[in-house]
Amino acid sequence: MALYRRARSTRLLVITLVVASLLTITVDYRGGHGGPFEIAGRATQTVVGALQGAVSKVIHPVSAFFSGLGHIGSLSSRNKHLQAEIQRLQQQHAHDVSLERVNTELQALLKLQSSLGQNGVAASVIGQSVGNFEWTITIGRGSSGGIKVHDPVVSGDGLVGHVVEVTPTSAVVQLIIDPDSAVAARLSSSGETGLIVGERNQDLQMQLVRPDARVFPSEQVVTAGYQGGLYPAEIVIGTVSHVYQQNGGLTKIVAIRPAVDFSSLETVLVLTGPKR
Amino acid sequence: MRRALSWTVVVLTALVLQSTLFSQVTLAGVKPELVYLVTVVLAFLEGPASGAVAGFAGGMAQDFLLNQPKGITALTLTLVGYAVGTIRQYIVTPSPLLPVVLVGGATVVGVMFYGVVAFLLGVAVGTSFLIKVALLAGVYNAVLTPILFPVLRRVAESSRARKVFRW
Repeated sequence: MALYRRARSTRLLVITLVVASLLTITVDYRGGHGGPFEIAGRATQTVVGALQGAVSKVIHPVSAFFSGLGHIGSLSSRNKHLQAEIQRLQQQHAHDVSLERVNTELQALLKLQSSLGQNGVAASVIGQSVGNFEWTITIGRGSSGGIKVHDPVVSGDGLVGHVVEVTPTSAVVQLIIDPDSAVAARLSSSGETGLIVGERNQDLQMQLVRPDARVFPSEQVVTAGYQGGLYPAEIVIGTVSHVYQQNGGLTKIVAIRPAVDFSSLETVLVLTGPKR
Repeated sequence: MRRALSWTVVVLTALVLQSTLFSQVTLAGVKPELVYLVTVVLAFLEGPASGAVAGFAGGMAQDFLLNQPKGITALTLTLVGYAVGTIRQYIVTPSPLLPVVLVGGATVVGVMFYGVVAFLLGVAVGTSFLIKVALLAGVYNAVLTPILFPVLRRVAESSRARKVFRW
């Protein structure tokens, strides 16, 4: 009898918890950003962010060792790949002098712009997402360092992502490889624009490119920087790795290899606004 | 009270480790799902009611760290905790492999369930990617179980209320 009653009260408990979860999902889904759970989320992030900061200092050498081990297989195949790449590039080199000139010009322009145009806050990466279905990093500076939600984040190599959540001492950055991320981008040689969407651990996809746009292999892709957009113009995103030709398609899809190695990010620069 | 406190510490540790150490030490790019592991082990040791509560609380904590609709992990883990705790009562085997199998299986099913609910709420979850993550997270969790199970059992035993011996 007692067992029966206990089983019944357990069932009641489970039903209550399930209903509570469903309510949370509904309220959060309806509320979107700035919903009532924002505060609870920020509190959890603050606590875990502080712990991450402490732990990542201790753990970094250990995890660097393991991630090095994990990459051994890919390193040897990468080596072969690079050898072939060198040969191809040597042959191509003669042809691309003009392209190279444009490229260096653009690079110089970019350096100039990023060094003059924006205020930046440097921050170290203290953690990554707890989930397997999103690509974010946690950085060790927050609103007390002047970081706001929607601030663009770059590294020395190129565009990293944008800030999606801030606490006083840490911030969460959504990477451009997250499938929910979308960046307006421009092919550097032709000036054609498109939308770069994250494809998890694969190359980024540049969508909505005009079907008759000329796309060169390995050409650079930079942010388009529309008026009122999230990202300033001319930040390097990556290079063209493949073009998907769709017969009769209304748009072209271009695969982009990101310039940033997201698995080994250590320091990033948060752009907090134009310099005055 | 003491019990709630020690399990809070366990869940927080799991979340911090998962976002620091285990985000570097991945299995083909997939992190373990430590909160799933904690929930299953707790349900295994303490029964369906504790499993459901632990799953709900741990899931909620993980949800609040994700930039996705909140409450999905809580829903998933409530059901996982209850299911594992219930199934456990009907299995009589002295095999030490039982927790490993339960953790692995429950993680695969749980992650699939999470992915389907997230997909229904408009999160971009690719089918083949979801299956890959579910299987690899299951394997990773199963591999970690022999290491973490004794630790979690010790926490459970030291914090369990004494003298309560009900049938």
